[in-house]
Formats: sequence, C-alpha cells, structure tokens
Amino acid sequence: MSVQIMTGKGREAISMIMDEGSFLENIIGDYMQDDQIGPGAVIGTITIGGRAATVISNDATKGNPRFPVVYAGVIGMEEAYKMAIAVYKTIEADKDKPAGQKRPLILIVDSPGNGPGKVEEIFGMNKATGSYQLALTEARQHGHPVIAMIIGRAISGAFLCHGLQADHILTLSKDFGTMIHVMPLSSIARITKRDLETLEELSKTNPVFASGADFFYKLGGVEEIVENIEDMKAAIIRHIDEVYKLNQAGQSEQCGPWGRGLLGEERGGRTLRKKVLDQMETEFAQIENRYL
Amino acid sequence: MKGWQEFQDQSFYEATARERAFHLVDEGTFEELIAPVDEMTSPHLPVLGEAISFDDGVVTGVGTMSSRPVFVISQEGRFIGGAVGEVGGAKIVGTFKLALELYEKIKAKYPDDYESRVPAVVFSFETGGVRLHEANAGLLAHAEVMEMIQKCRGKLPVISLVGSKVGCFGGMGFVCVATDMVIMSDLGRIGLTGPEVIEEVMGKKEFDSADRALIYRTTGGKHKYIMRDCAYLVEDSIGGFRRQIEEVLKMSYAQIQECRSIGTPELTEEQLGIVGLAAGLNPKDAKDVWYYFGNDNSEAIPDMFYQEFMSVVKRRQKGGC
Repeated sequence: MSVQIMTGKGREAISMIMDEGSFLENIIGDYMQDDQIGPGAVIGTITIGGRAATVISNDATKGNPRFPVVYAGVIGMEEAYKMAIAVYKTIEADKDKPAGQKRPLILIVDSPGNGPGKVEEIFGMNKATGSYQLALTEARQHGHPVIAMIIGRAISGAFLCHGLQADHILTLSKDFGTMIHVMPLSSIARITKRDLETLEELSKTNPVFASGADFFYKLGGVEEIVENIEDMKAAIIRHIDEVYKLNQAGQSEQCGPWGRGLLGEERGGRTLRKKVLDQMETEFAQIENRYL
Repeated sequence: MKGWQEFQDQSFYEATARERAFHLVDEGTFEELIAPVDEMTSPHLPVLGEAISFDDGVVTGVGTMSSRPVFVISQEGRFIGGAVGEVGGAKIVGTFKLALELYEKIKAKYPDDYESRVPAVVFSFETGGVRLHEANAGLLAHAEVMEMIQKCRGKLPVISLVGSKVGCFGGMGFVCVATDMVIMSDLGRIGLTGPEVIEEVMGKKEFDSADRALIYRTTGGKHKYIMRDCAYLVEDSIGGFRRQIEEVLKMSYAQIQECRSIGTPELTEEQLGIVGLAAGLNPKDAKDVWYYFGNDNSEAIPDMFYQEFMSVVKRRQKGGC
C-alpha cells in the first residue's frame, strides 16, 4: 500500500493499469495518429487483463507549441479533437464485432480545464470539447464500455469533456490529492459573496457545492472511490465487466450521466431531480393525446 | 396587453424566457410543463441567502408549429444569469426525455409516415453555464443534457437558438453546438470561457473583457455565421427566429442534420483542419479570420446592419448546409 500523488502522472497511470509493456501509443486498430498533434493528450491501445482497450489520458508534462494555453494538463482544441478521433477510430476498429465484444475505452482523468484563450474562442473550443463528448456517448451506444479513472484533477469543463460521459467513473480517494469540483470553495465564496467559514459549514451537510471525491460520491457523480493505487487496475477491469453485463441485460440506462442521476437519488445527494422528472411526466401525460 | 402577433416584432434579445417560449410556437399552443404555479424551486439558494424563482430560471413546455409538436426550453438570463442548477437542469433533461418518448409513440402509431410528424426540440439559450450556488448538481446536469442530445440523434431535430442578452457561455457553450443546428441573431454570443476569465488568463492587454466590440467580434453571431458555427443568422425579433424554425421544419431530417458542425468522424477531421488553420494564421483578431475567408471588407463588418452584412458576407466553405 502506498500513497503516491498521481496528479500530473497520466502516463505513469497508464503503465500501472495496463498489462506490462502493452501500450501502443497513437495506434488504434489500423489507425495511426500523427504524434505532433495535441501533445497534451495521450491516446493509444493497451491490453488490460488480457483484453484490448483504447486509453485516453491527459499529459500534464507536455505543452502544445502551437497553443500556449495548453500546459499542465489543460485540454486544448487539438487535444480534444485528437481524443474525439481516438473514440471514432475505436468504434471503427470494432464495427464488425457484436455488442458484447466492443473494446472498452479507459479515460485517465487529470485536467484543470479546457483551453481558455482568444484564439480558442475565435475557432471554437466549445466545438472541440463538444465533439469529444458526443463521440464518447456514441461509443457507449455501440456497446463500448467507457470507464473514467480520476487520478488528479477533474475540474469543471475539463471533467465534463473528459470523464462525465463515461459509463462508470472511478476516482482515487482524497488522500491522493484528487480534486473534483467546478470551482474551489474560496472562489465560490467570492462570487456568491458568502464567507468561507459559512460555506465550509454548509458543505458538511449539502454536497451540491462542496468539492472533492466524497461529495461527488454522495451526489452519484462518481461510482466508486478507489483507496489504493494498486487497486486501480482490478477496479477498472471489474467495472468494464459490470458495464458489459448491464448492457447485455438491456440496462445501459443505469450507466452514464443518466445512471448517475439514479445513483444521486439512491445515495440521497440529488433527490429533486427525480421529483422534477416525475412531475413533468405526469403533467405531459394529461395533454399527450393532442400530439399523437 | 400585447397580443401574440405583436410579440413577433419584439426584440428576441430583450424578450424574457417565457415571452420567447410562448411566441416561438403557434399562437395559443404553448403548454408550460412545471410552470411557476408548481413552485419547483431550488432548495440550495435559500440556504445561501439567495432569492429563488418559481421556474428556477428556465421555461419548459410544448406547443405546435404547423401541427407538429415542438418542445421548447427557454432560459431566463434575468435570474442568476440563466445558470443551470439541479431543478432547472432536470427540467431541461426531462423535456428531452418527453420528446424522445413521444417520438417512439408517434413512430409506433405511424410506422410508414412518421418523419414529418415527430417532435422537434427548440432550445433558446441564455446562460453562463453552471450555477455556482449548486455547482456540482449543475455540472452533472450538463453531462445529462449532452447525453440526451446524442440520444435524439437520428430520431428528432434539436435546434439551438442564441440571441439573448446574456449569450451562451460556459458548459452550455458546447451544449448549444452539439445539436443539429444553431440559429443566431447578430446580437447572440457563444463561447466556452467567459471574457472575464480570458482576461484573467491572458492579461487585459491581450483581451479586455470590458471591450464589447472585441467580445462581439470573437463570439458574436456574425463571426459564428462566417465560421459556419451557426447555420442561419436572423434578424433580432421573435418572429425572425420563429420564421427560420418554420423553414427548417419543412426540410427533411437528413437536410437538417447536414447543418451540424460536430458529431461525426468527418466533421471532427474537418474541425481539426480548422484548428490547423488557427495555428498557421495565428490571428490577432477575428477580423483576420474573416479576411482569410474572403471578406476584404472585414474592417466594415462589425458596423454593418443585418441586410447589408447578409448581402456581402463570405463564409467558410463547408459541404451540406
């Protein structure tokens, strides 16, 4: 057992979870990605527990010479499109396989944000991050299990981009310095004009604005907290199998963002969501005939 | 009181979420779902001493356009900048769910003739993204909305409207481009990172968040139209948006889907190509990009009125829409 901070160590995390020596960087099926594109993101193929999988990770050690906002794991435009292409190439590689044999996608998550900059806004960083999310959801629809493993930072837009469209999300516990939030409590205090002490006190009972793995667990925002680095690989394999099983049983609704909505209700962290959805169903049922 | 017809000339930019919702669909057909009378409000705001709104900042419901069901989601920028929390987020997600369920029922009832009968979803954005007072719930709701948009793919048209005061920023900046089509007015703005944050990162000299003209050049409707990040640019009135939606709903679903800017391997490669252009061109201003796409008059574009702009503008070449 060891507590080793994994923030900034996407590549090391890939080595820890893969079958030894199995990583083929920039290769997915017959596809080979130009290694100059999107250096802040790592894509490729590994085997894990004897099974081929696509891996997509942040690389906090590399900047992008063309886009200076990309450093320390920031997802820039090239990075997000590279990640999206990795997903589409995964779908392509397994297009003739039956649903139960589509290879998994494993996302190693450690990013502080999407690229913030003028050029990014002119050319549309929003499209880049949106592309990747749509690709991941499409992969799930084809039956590829998508598992996210948070090893460091899963912050706001970066977490939406790279993580929150997964079937299941795992995170190292807070002992590893993992950070999951939209904004740190100190910034929320500034913007909402509340003092930090009050917010800290409130966050003990209300997880909707507090940061960290435990609160996201309560909200159903992550499926499982992993307490030891050594357990990451086994946990990922276990969740891949669970997702295959749920998909085969026709219960894929229990995975992904919708599934985490159900989990938020079950864990008592997000109870209003279901009330709203039920009320809408009831109200619409009364007028539905007009539209049929 | 103004009638439905008079509202067609009302500025879309100035209109409230409810005014937009009621007047985008056919007269007298809008039925609000989870109306203010239901008092579905955020429990998280009072804890922080904030006022609540009985619709939690988003109007949801259904009406018809040319006898076709149209679900409407309309965000209210006057309430905490239209930001998305737990209740409002669930209302958005729930609207997509109802549209998908109605799609299945219509398809079952008219198996040979359902394409022109299926519902559409029209999403009028006015938002800064996640509501910080309930940030985690807002974030998770964004992910659910993205999943819902993908679930609607290949089934029913989803159309984004952007032309309201607050614009469309933060996580909703990618939600709005993930749909089949974006319709904007030149007053609309779409971005991911808000201007203040860019200023914080790049410095005031590089990006002054108080410079409205700069913000419009970078995120505004004219720019998005040149880039083909919006399919149609309309005049700033509720009727302007409504007429464009009517035209779109006459198109086949295949034609509508050709207006997507992202969401397929081909479009992803195309967008990556545009990023290559960004690196090569390294523009100091959006005007440099307009010039590159053939607008020799790029300096004059910001001050042009709608008709003049539409008659002279050169857009990025793109297949389909």
